[in-house]
Amino acid sequence: MDFPFMKEAISQLFSKSSCAMYPAVPSQAAPGYRGRIEYHPELCISCGMCERVCSGNAITRSVENLEDGRDKITLTFNLGSCTFCATCADFCTKHAIEFTGDYHMVATKEEDLLVSGSFIKAAPKKKAPAAAKTEGCQTPAGKESGVKPRDDGKPVNDPARCVYCTLCAKKCPAQALTVDRAAKTWTLDEDKCVSCGTCAQVCPKNCIIM
Amino acid sequence: MTIVIDALQYLGYVLIFPGFLFCFLAGMLLCGIDRKLVAKMQKRVGPPILQPFYDFFKLCGKETIIPAAAERNTFMLSPLVGLAALVVIQLFIPVFGFTAFSGIGDIIVILYLLLVPALAMILGGAASGSPYAGVGLSREMVTIISCELPLVLVLLAVAKTVGGAIGTGLCFSLSQIAEYQEVNGSLITKISMLPAAAAMLLLIPGETGSHPFDAAEAETEICEGLLAEYSGAPLGVFKLSHAVKMLSLTSLFVALFLGGLGTGILALDAVLLFLLCALITAASISFVHAFTARLKIEQIFKYYWTVVSLLAAVSLALAWYGL
Amino acid sequence: MFKRLIAERTGKSPWLFHINAGSCNGCDIELVSVLTPRYDAERLGFKLAGSPRHADIVVVTGPVTKQSLPRVLRAISQVPEPRCIVTMGSCPQSGNVFRGSYSIAGPLSKYVPVDVDVAGCAPKPEAIIDGLTLAAKILKEKRGRMN
Repeated sequence: MDFPFMKEAISQLFSKSSCAMYPAVPSQAAPGYRGRIEYHPELCISCGMCERVCSGNAITRSVENLEDGRDKITLTFNLGSCTFCATCADFCTKHAIEFTGDYHMVATKEEDLLVSGSFIKAAPKKKAPAAAKTEGCQTPAGKESGVKPRDDGKPVNDPARCVYCTLCAKKCPAQALTVDRAAKTWTLDEDKCVSCGTCAQVCPKNCIIM
Repeated sequence: MTIVIDALQYLGYVLIFPGFLFCFLAGMLLCGIDRKLVAKMQKRVGPPILQPFYDFFKLCGKETIIPAAAERNTFMLSPLVGLAALVVIQLFIPVFGFTAFSGIGDIIVILYLLLVPALAMILGGAASGSPYAGVGLSREMVTIISCELPLVLVLLAVAKTVGGAIGTGLCFSLSQIAEYQEVNGSLITKISMLPAAAAMLLLIPGETGSHPFDAAEAETEICEGLLAEYSGAPLGVFKLSHAVKMLSLTSLFVALFLGGLGTGILALDAVLLFLLCALITAASISFVHAFTARLKIEQIFKYYWTVVSLLAAVSLALAWYGL
Repeated sequence: MFKRLIAERTGKSPWLFHINAGSCNGCDIELVSVLTPRYDAERLGFKLAGSPRHADIVVVTGPVTKQSLPRVLRAISQVPEPRCIVTMGSCPQSGNVFRGSYSIAGPLSKYVPVDVDVAGCAPKPEAIIDGLTLAAKILKEKRGRMN
């Protein structure tokens, strides 16, 4: 019979334990640990991307119509349903979701595990419906395009470089983009657009300018 | 009048020292020391030494569930029977010079009484009607049988050594063994007794059902076997029995091999007995527990009937030839 | 006096019983790591019991699948009073990524009153110790109410 730890058992009797003594000695989470979510409503633009990518359905967004025509938007993160995969934080173009190193997520009531924040969104500027459809451009390839970024923070497409892959339309959380491959058109619905920048981020040709 | 005083004295023996109260306090403390030492050897901090007391009092405050399939009276009474038998053993074991009850054949009585706690557990487990208890029951029986042969050999070797020296053939009286050691020094100093002492040390964890030999109460595979259906106070009494059994066996070791160290003052002797018991617990139970994994039941059987029995038999043979 | 002794000690020796209700094994491993030399929950009196009859705290991991639901409820009902139910990880609290699956019967709080939720996927061992000490405190309160 072979007892590999016999000597160690005796030597341990006279040396210090390797115990972390947790509740008495506080412990820090390792850098990069994904703990309790911190939500910054002042940065959020309510694009809804986080809600779409969440695998645990932990994020709920509620919209409350205020009397002055503006919307009060509340995002609630249920930590009791979260997998802490941080996909929402990765997809958030405005960095409004942050995973902190706080791991003390112990609750006796379910409400204690909810992280929530709300902000008031300004009403969209009403424009003539005709103006919304003017973005569709069709320029022969090779020609120098003079596309300038818009001052209201909404995306502009550079038709000289665009290959009409439709990726931006697929990724748009507000369904504000319509791209027709056959007709080679790129259309933005300004009323729907929330200026999140997801289209510019996913564009393989970097032809969307914000 | 003297009858009343005698009766009171015996009542004191049974209830206070070396009976129930001493068994309760010393056994629980031994159990706590054992858990602390095991934790220490495994690089842990371990529970406080008073943890077995906390466990016991907590279990007393819990609801006691009696399963519908259980035989009510046997289920509730068997823990008490086991504990009572252990307290009686403690009465027979001399504390160096002092013996509460002594007789000509008290080793034989102890041998039988040591079976009673295990039998009580088997009865209680069988009465609980749980299939896990059924598995634990058969394993507990095999463990008893495996421990019994080497234990008898060890006791025979001691009896032969002392009996040969004082000229009675075989000496089965613990008080006579204690007296012999008072005069001639501890038995462990004899070469012929060394293998027997080693065998006894190896026997203690098996008899108490401590770690490598706890196949009968394997909590990870058969839900603590015989105790699977017990809850609340009866479970607490079983845990207490386990602690007292540790005390009984270690103090039996002291009586058999380490006698003659007494000071003559009862209180000091009791403390000395407890310290020696703690030392033996540390060596035979905690140390083995710290670095071994649970053995299979047939391995336990094989181990006790070959290695340990051989050690004891060597000792018996040496004693027979008067070495 | 004996009653007070019992009431005082109940919080000091909580024994755990762990039920895996369809867990992915992440939380199970973290629970075991709480008992290792690094965290050593035994120094606070915690001990893993083998049978629900011996337990004080029931730790449930996993999203409570339809197969496991009757077994979970049966095991919990076998735990003597006072008892405390702790859900570990996100799964028993909400179903987590398994929510809406055909085989999920959870969350657990639909069937039994849950005392402590430990969130995390899987929770850090320190968070588990936090949750278990809180459960032990609740256990002591429950015992106090029984007198």
